Amino acid sequence: MVGMAAGLARVGFRPFVYGLAAFVPIRTIEQIKLDIAHDDLPVVLLGDGAGFVYSHLGTSHQSTEDIACTRSIPNMTVLSPADRFEMESCMNYAYSAKQPVYLRMGKSDRGDVHTGPIDALKSGQLIKLRDGRTDRPGLIATGAMAVTALRVAEELNLMAWSAPMLKPLDSKDVCSAASITKGLVTLEEHSILGGLGGAVAEIISQDHPTRLLRLGVEDRFSSHCGSHAYLLHEHGLDDNSVLRRVSEFCGLSLP
Amino acid sequence: MTKKMRNSTLLNSDHRFLPARMRRTVLDMAYSGSTVHIGCAFSIVEILTVLYRNHLRYPDNNPMADGRDYLVLSKGHGVMAQYACMHELGWLTDEQIKGYFEDGSDLKGLSDSRVPGLEVTSGSLGHGFSVGVGIALGLMSKKAEQKVFCLVGDGELNEGPIWEGALVAAHHKIDNLMMIVDKNGFQAMGPTDDVLALGDLASKLRSFGFETLEVDGHDEDELDSAIHRLWATGVGKPKALIATTVKGKGVPFMESDNSWHYTRLNSQTYADAIAALGAAA
Repeated sequence: MVGMAAGLARVGFRPFVYGLAAFVPIRTIEQIKLDIAHDDLPVVLLGDGAGFVYSHLGTSHQSTEDIACTRSIPNMTVLSPADRFEMESCMNYAYSAKQPVYLRMGKSDRGDVHTGPIDALKSGQLIKLRDGRTDRPGLIATGAMAVTALRVAEELNLMAWSAPMLKPLDSKDVCSAASITKGLVTLEEHSILGGLGGAVAEIISQDHPTRLLRLGVEDRFSSHCGSHAYLLHEHGLDDNSVLRRVSEFCGLSLP
Repeated sequence: MTKKMRNSTLLNSDHRFLPARMRRTVLDMAYSGSTVHIGCAFSIVEILTVLYRNHLRYPDNNPMADGRDYLVLSKGHGVMAQYACMHELGWLTDEQIKGYFEDGSDLKGLSDSRVPGLEVTSGSLGHGFSVGVGIALGLMSKKAEQKVFCLVGDGELNEGPIWEGALVAAHHKIDNLMMIVDKNGFQAMGPTDDVLALGDLASKLRSFGFETLEVDGHDEDELDSAIHRLWATGVGKPKALIATTVKGKGVPFMESDNSWHYTRLNSQTYADAIAALGAAA
């Protein structure tokens, strides 16, 4: 399917390849690398159900390594919208990019983080979700975890940003967030290795060293079966666990 | 012939793994877990009952025993039928069956190798067969007597790795391996003939070098004798058993209705389905 999309793109089409993130991109990663990215072809890869959406089906259908895999392939743009408004902007960006794009679609029914349509995405930008105290860490979240970030940020009065674009990720925006807060926390329904947390670590370790707490999936597969909310809890990513972990990072006792 | 007669007797007197009871367990799981893939599980019930009753050897009834035969469920979405058989063997508790899909439970909607009795993590299709080829090659090289059965769906045969594995199995003369195709004629998105036609599957597998037989996949005697015949013939060749089945078999309103790939039971359809299974369930 991905190889065919590359062929179609070579003769002038603009293919959108849709699959579950466990399969597009994970199952087809070599085709993406060699057939599409190597030749910088305008193919949009839509990976649905990313993260723990298929919570009852187990490892084969869960996807917490897709950002890391696609980020490391040259020419790839990686998008990860937080809600329907970011999704629309990401689709527009993907179509106009005319280059390989991976658009990650995760849990979509956790509510919006924006109140309405947002401006056209700019390359690598962070979108501020709320202002908050500058003497505490700021939160940067991607995908459905932006909802959690917003709730926790409201609880602790923290600044929060959404990162709908993980590659490229703009160093200026990340360093700006690091410079106006005391430390950063990243949140993602993805491995803490190579995803948003990895990308932010790469930037700040070079350009603006600060404390960083990466919240995401530790280096392991889900152990058990259950609802999406259950699996978030298993991985310490439910609202209460995140609130506790961020509070500890802030040096606060639990509210 | 002696072997066949002995097993026919066994079938008549052995009431373990009664297909209607296995289907009842599948319905109970699917209803309590509010889950899908019922039709996909029902088509493989007799294949599994014959394998577990007459062919698979588990020393000390231990699903992890070193000397066991291997059943690789490559079509991982049929796993509820395998859970039903594993429950019959005492490998799964009543609580695990009743608590299917509860938060924190171990039994997932697709085969997970961390559950003793399930050999592979599948459900992403096309993986299990290659793993089965590797297990069989390893056992063969160790001159072990163990056998490897690999159950694949006909829709799953769309996947390239299946055919790469088939080439390897024939090339290396892996004759302790049997691919069993659950040929129910459907896959998630429609009839296999509409989605991606397989053509003459038996000819394809024979041309790949497999000793191949075709049977009615719901006739336990036919399945049993075909499996014996395949092991007895074709020395130096991998085996393939094409079992023609009915998706949703056992509950008339589910039979050959592909919507039961993804439809969930409600209280009415659950009751109707159990009634359709009859007293044996």
